Amino acid sequence: MATNYGGYMGKVLRINLSTKEVSEYPFSDEERKLYIGGKTMAAKILSDHLTGNEKAFSEDNLLVITTGPMTGSGAPSSSRFNISTLSPLTGYITSSNCGGNFGYYLKKAGLDALVISGKCENPTWIEIQNDTVLFHEADDLWGLKTSETQEKLDEKLTMKNGRVRKNGKICIGPAGENQVLYASIISNERVSGRGGTGAVMGWMKLKAVCASGNKEVKVIEKEKMVKHTQKWFKYLRKHPLTGNQLPKMGTAGLVSAMQMKSILSTKNYQYGQYDKFEDISGEKLAEEYNIVNKGCLTCPIRCARTVEVNGKQVKGPELETLVLLGSGILNNDLKSILRWNYELDELGMDTISCANTLSYAMEANEKGLWDNGLVFSEIDDISKVFEDIAYARGIGAELALGSKRLAEKYGGKEFAINAKGMELAAYEPRKTVGLGLGYAVSNRGGCHLNGGYLVILEGLGLSIDPTTPRGKADLTMMFQDLMEMISATGQCLFTSYAFFPSPLMNHPNSWYTKLVNKILPYCGGVVRFINKFPEIAFFHLPVFHHTKAFELVTGMKMPFGNYLRAGERGYNLERIVNARFGVDESKDSLPKRLTDVPQDPNKPETKVPLETMKKVYYKARGWDEKGLPTKKTIERLKLDGDVRDKG
Amino acid sequence: MVMYVIKVSLYGVIRLQAGISHFESTASTLSELKEKIPNVSRKEADDLIVLVNGTAVKKKYKFKDGDEVVFMSPAGGG
Repeated sequence: MATNYGGYMGKVLRINLSTKEVSEYPFSDEERKLYIGGKTMAAKILSDHLTGNEKAFSEDNLLVITTGPMTGSGAPSSSRFNISTLSPLTGYITSSNCGGNFGYYLKKAGLDALVISGKCENPTWIEIQNDTVLFHEADDLWGLKTSETQEKLDEKLTMKNGRVRKNGKICIGPAGENQVLYASIISNERVSGRGGTGAVMGWMKLKAVCASGNKEVKVIEKEKMVKHTQKWFKYLRKHPLTGNQLPKMGTAGLVSAMQMKSILSTKNYQYGQYDKFEDISGEKLAEEYNIVNKGCLTCPIRCARTVEVNGKQVKGPELETLVLLGSGILNNDLKSILRWNYELDELGMDTISCANTLSYAMEANEKGLWDNGLVFSEIDDISKVFEDIAYARGIGAELALGSKRLAEKYGGKEFAINAKGMELAAYEPRKTVGLGLGYAVSNRGGCHLNGGYLVILEGLGLSIDPTTPRGKADLTMMFQDLMEMISATGQCLFTSYAFFPSPLMNHPNSWYTKLVNKILPYCGGVVRFINKFPEIAFFHLPVFHHTKAFELVTGMKMPFGNYLRAGERGYNLERIVNARFGVDESKDSLPKRLTDVPQDPNKPETKVPLETMKKVYYKARGWDEKGLPTKKTIERLKLDGDVRDKG
Repeated sequence: MVMYVIKVSLYGVIRLQAGISHFESTASTLSELKEKIPNVSRKEADDLIVLVNGTAVKKKYKFKDGDEVVFMSPAGGG
């Protein structure tokens, strides 16, 4: 449906793989205004189709690939796209955000989103060029790893003049084909990692999608946007996180800081520190292995690392992979992590879920619950274990199920480190309890970003008291909503880190930074007021360039308060859909290791006081004691149409 | 003032700037030690996070025998 807004191409395609039918999916300007794009637009589409009775591997599920209005607009770090579906890992909605260039080229093809359903009879890849959609047999691609798949696709897209048509692509590897529950989708070297989107694509027998075209993203106030973007780029380059730490060390730069704060997950989250942390640190990666840092399209942050594996320059590991395949399994061999990171991307598997499932299995073996041969710090056969998972062979077929299902079979639920069935990120939450709350309530399961990333206040950035529950619930809600909206617009969440004024980051020992650290937990009431009445922020914040850029691109009014509200709507919408599948208060949980056992036996406060924080959080969100949005909240967020009884 | 041999470790981007990961230096106070980080000005050193034996200390901290010091750049966002 055509649009009057800038930033959108005005067209969503529905592709039925069973019938090979392609049609336009209706999405109106009214819906664009409410559901923006990205994960929220996807949640709306899923909300309109899912009743609560569907299974991830069924023709009733949808794979929804969305861009946001900022994707391809030229704004900093705006090449993102999102993949949402009913997750085979959790049974609830997963939304997985990815960099690379597929989102950009989807818009070049004139599309805001793809809604894919059904199942191909034989392996298939889809070519989209402007308005044309072609289905191709993919027998020759099936079984290939992800980089080889993408090389072959480029060969197929080679034009008569010998040049490869400029395109963006997504594909799966063997793990997706074999429906490993945490299989990922790869785009260039970037990964849509979490929740098993690749497994759904594999079940559909869809190996890849390539998009290309020559359409342009319309920007309503083009000249003003150019000026604003220049200013924004400058701001990000000057900021200590986005202009210094992330470009120089990537996310890997956090390993040492996490060690100092005792939040470095070690030996399957038994400890928060690892005595050999230096061997797997970002410093060592930068000094000995990083060849060059890379960025996605229009990204000034350039957080990606490039390292050499088997004589080939490949993407280096992110923090999560370093920690979970390092201290998580008591492995201090950095070279092995670089290689495994590459292998997991090649096989198409989420490194976080895979690593945590592995560390669960090692502990289960150590405790005599499951004789599987996997031992902490013994790493010689790990590459083979990854291959076995991807091809569902032997013990790999079991590990492919994730830690939750394994704990149900073998025991050890208290150390199967997942929330809603999805494994947690690398931050040990007992000394960053606000993040612990975030992990538990996150819509997609154990995710630090969907959980609000409160660790940025609790030690990595600012340093508020990391173990007090005070103020954490309200702050979590605000950060979740903010990040929800950034993601929905098609921008990278890392742009949000510049939200914190540089002086606070640059001068951690100053009186004003110390004051902010001291008083922030006591500001829960103020934060709640803003969360409840965000419209009072009817202006643009000088440290938050997103809102003005959004207005200049789309022509929609979007002061800071509206931006927060839109994020809140998106967050609640996913919750409403998840509720149809049984999500309620009982599912917002963490393993007992994190809630009942103090990290430091001498400090009882070093565990996640989840129940205390949940009560405040639900109240702040306008949810009832069952953890579901009240009628009043639903009406306030204009989500009345999305509430339905389980069909 | 008694001078002690202090083991110093650097983390974060400041380590890349200093070009060294660990060194030993003699100092009696934290303030004095801050002057001795290679390629790092005193002003820059004042903005580093400091831990002595794993614990945050006051600016005027006086060293004891066997103290180990960490200087770390503020880091966040991952």
